[in-house]
Amino acid sequence: MPEPNGRGDAATTRPRFAHESEEEFARLLDFYGIRWEYEPRSFPLERDDAGRVLESFSPDFYLPDFDLYIELTTLKQSLVTRKNRKVRRLRELYPDVRLKIFYGRDYRSLLVKYGLARS
Amino acid sequence: MALADQLASVLIPEAQLQARIRELADRISADYADRTPLLVSVLKGAVYFMADLTRAISVPITMDFMAITSYGPGQGASGAVRLIKDLDEEISGRHVLLVEDIIDTGLTAAYLLRILGARDPASLRICTLLDKTARRIVDTLPIDYRGFEIPDVFVVGYGLDYRQLYRNLPFIGVLRTDPAAPPP
Repeated sequence: MPEPNGRGDAATTRPRFAHESEEEFARLLDFYGIRWEYEPRSFPLERDDAGRVLESFSPDFYLPDFDLYIELTTLKQSLVTRKNRKVRRLRELYPDVRLKIFYGRDYRSLLVKYGLARS
Repeated sequence: MALADQLASVLIPEAQLQARIRELADRISADYADRTPLLVSVLKGAVYFMADLTRAISVPITMDFMAITSYGPGQGASGAVRLIKDLDEEISGRHVLLVEDIIDTGLTAAYLLRILGARDPASLRICTLLDKTARRIVDTLPIDYRGFEIPDVFVVGYGLDYRQLYRNLPFIGVLRTDPAAPPP
């Protein structure tokens, strides 16, 4: 049963991941004993005149021991471009937030490194 | 086909590799002139680096090896890294230098630092031959000695493998077929 805040670091507290790659990444972090939270925070990127949030960005993981957010982007290029724009905006609005993006190639490299890539 | 023929390029030629290792050894010799460090390496990737580095160090040292499980297929949801071979020597109160072949995500090095640090060494530093920062997750590692910062390419040779091959190349090379290339 996933915890409502998406926190996890053990097999018993798995959140519902949006993508298989996120679940694999969480297993990798668990393997090395790295504490993580899944989508714990949403950063507003754009608001209307009334202050309502029009656009926001929720990085996939937060690693509290390193104060680092991680976003996995294994999408096709057109969607990556849109996400890159969001990331740029996040960095403008929240310069103190540490965010690392793993693109498709980065993620595949991880799979290769750990022998998980399909031949 | 020879191993070297399966490479796209040589990233770090043997002569450059060995020259840089001598430079690292000189620095380590100076920094540990009044101490006897224990150099700790992890099997199997760092074996060649450890062998060449220690032979170029001019001050007394001791060395030891560890082996740990790697993340990979078949790891269950509750799988966790564990020691296959622990150190033979006690490290409490000693000056420990962790010798790594490559630091990539930093996950392995962070794990090793945790377990070594818990044994109360007098000091604990890292010497890595290759530093690939593109996919670094743990970016707080105390890397005091760094051979080469390398780009985001899949490297093999001089201890580094792809599916256990290429370790015995005397240089660092880039595979002809990028294993991380997107599927066709």
